[in-house]
Amino acid sequence: MKIRLENIVKRFRDNTAVDHFSAEIESGELVTLLGPSGCGKSTMLNMLSGILYPTEGKIYFDEDDVTFVSSEKRGIGLVFQNYALYPHMTVLENICFPLEIKKVPKAERIEKAKKMAELVHVDTMLNRKPGQLSGGQQQRVAIARALVKEPRLLLLDEPLSNLDARLRIEMREEIRRIQLETGVTTIFVTHDQEEAMSISDHIILMKLGVLQQFDKPQYLYDQPANCFVADFLGNPPINKVEAVVKNGKVILADGSDSGVRLEGHDDQKVWLSFRSESVLYEPDSQLKATAIMTSVMGKEKITAFDLAGKEVRGYFDSSLDFERGQEVGIGFKKTGVFVFDYESGERYL
Amino acid sequence: MIKRPFFERIKPLLYLLPFIISVVIFTLYPIVNVIRMSFLEGYKYLTGAYTGVGLENYQKVFADPYFRQALGNTFKYVLCVVPISTAIAVVLANLLNQKIKFQAFFQTAYFLPMVTSSLAVGLAWRFMFNDKIGILNYILGLIGLEPVNWLGQSSGNFMAVVVFGIWSILPNTIILLLSGLQNIDPMYYTAAKVDGAKTLRIFFRITVPLLAPTIMLVIIINSINTFKMYHELFPLFSGPGVAYNLFTVVYYIYYEFRVLTPPKYGLASAAAVMLLITVFGFTMLQRAVQAWARRERGEDGKDKKRK
Ligand SMILES: Nc1ncnc2c1ncn2[C@@H]1O[C@H](COP(=O)(O)OP(=O)(O)O)[C@@H](O)[C@H]1O
Ligand SMILES: [Mg+2]
Repeated sequence: MKIRLENIVKRFRDNTAVDHFSAEIESGELVTLLGPSGCGKSTMLNMLSGILYPTEGKIYFDEDDVTFVSSEKRGIGLVFQNYALYPHMTVLENICFPLEIKKVPKAERIEKAKKMAELVHVDTMLNRKPGQLSGGQQQRVAIARALVKEPRLLLLDEPLSNLDARLRIEMREEIRRIQLETGVTTIFVTHDQEEAMSISDHIILMKLGVLQQFDKPQYLYDQPANCFVADFLGNPPINKVEAVVKNGKVILADGSDSGVRLEGHDDQKVWLSFRSESVLYEPDSQLKATAIMTSVMGKEKITAFDLAGKEVRGYFDSSLDFERGQEVGIGFKKTGVFVFDYESGERYL
Repeated sequence: MIKRPFFERIKPLLYLLPFIISVVIFTLYPIVNVIRMSFLEGYKYLTGAYTGVGLENYQKVFADPYFRQALGNTFKYVLCVVPISTAIAVVLANLLNQKIKFQAFFQTAYFLPMVTSSLAVGLAWRFMFNDKIGILNYILGLIGLEPVNWLGQSSGNFMAVVVFGIWSILPNTIILLLSGLQNIDPMYYTAAKVDGAKTLRIFFRITVPLLAPTIMLVIIINSINTFKMYHELFPLFSGPGVAYNLFTVVYYIYYEFRVLTPPKYGLASAAAVMLLITVFGFTMLQRAVQAWARRERGEDGKDKKRK
């Protein structure tokens, strides 16, 4: 099912949680709402599920205006951060419950529930209570319960944040697998950029209720729309040094020339941001950085430098060896290097 | 090891002393004494003399038709008041827990009985039950029913005391249930509503089961309290109904001890011990039920770590 959001605004008294949000989500995709805590992800999701209604704007499911349609009429499945499994019901009863409400005959709903349980791999624990399951198993049951009534749209609000790190990786792959197997249009909320990068068809990155960028994960990483997007994505985080543009040259705080060129923004204060994998070792370069420490990460090394008073990191071949305090000439690749306005974060390069 | 001064070591005990003394004098001693008295035959309270030790008092109590009647009345009273008041309280607590208009007003209205003297309230009920000027018979008249002689005859006065008992037990019960309801995470309701569940289904399939531990607790606490039913009788009837037809176990104890001359201390004590055992049994039942509820939810920790 296709979703169209038109200029959605949601205000709580004087607090604007979602601000003029427009997006179109293609049928069958897994789209992630990503952003720091409090940026309005849950609010946006709750408007999609009909738990909240927008202050302004319109929501379309395919061609239907569902802006003010109540949740139970929207054909959605919802998965909560704390699973919200009914503790007094067994796994099977939990999965059956949405069908029971729809008055599906008992034999049929048990058959459907068992199929769902198989899909999410909880078919061996149908008679257990949620309290007897691990967090990962509970989340699987919650997904089965959300999917059993064959919703047009699956909504998941931070479904993995209660799980430990290893289980989180396992479950996010599971969610992707289940989503691909069922082909259900899915909106997934998370504040974890790695999670978002790994499972999404598209990512919507939000900040303070405003959509920052809506793109494929790799594009978001390679071509961030602004400084916030660049800062938010990537691990290790993008390197940032303060700089000024002089005669088309990006000059660092200590007066050294970064070698990056930018036309048309002379005398503006900017951020020079670059990915760690975009740092090059150039012994003859005018630009010098002081090595602080090196850690080995498999076939590569990551070295922390002091560059014009800021700590930055770069990946190098493990055959290179920098000693602490050594002055190293560095340069940048053509990709993964950006210049942003110092105040507004607007991207210039 | 540094030896603390003597006074330092007994200081905590001194703080506890007033409490310990009061428990010993007003709780422990009477219990022990009642148990002892229940086994003494021909006991004289003032002289402390007795003729023998044995189970005679218990045999006499069980043979006493008044005690049997008291026991029957008490059970009947518990069986009427506890289920009805619990059912009413669950519904009312659920309504009070909703976001409704005048919520504060309703909450105050329901909790008012708790802060008013039960004697004054009982007297008010006495007027409401009055067969000539009472509002209950007035209402019965409006809907075309015969007036009931609530307080004056032995068929009506049991109903009267049950109605009064239910009414006085409601506030406490509602408070307990409300706190239970507020412990239910609202996400369960959100989940059910998104799936399209209506009010009644939510109430019976989600609220009541999740509230079950609190409901059990309320049933047991109320059973214990209604078993000790006694003071409700005074404002309504100034005594145990008509011709002692509303004798209860506690009233029997009081009667044997205070009203009869000479008092039958042995019988009163034996009856009191029976009551003690019953109440103790309910308390044990409550613990068993709570342990069961924890197991039902898989909270006993054994299965939790399974991945
Ligand atoms: N019911 C509410 N009433 C008032 N403010 C709210 C309410 N729900 C959310 N907010 C505010 O809206 C903003 C976005 O919240 P939320 O959507 O929960 O963020 P996220 O899910 O991204 O962490 C926050 O500033 C939050 O305080
Ligand atoms: Mg949230």
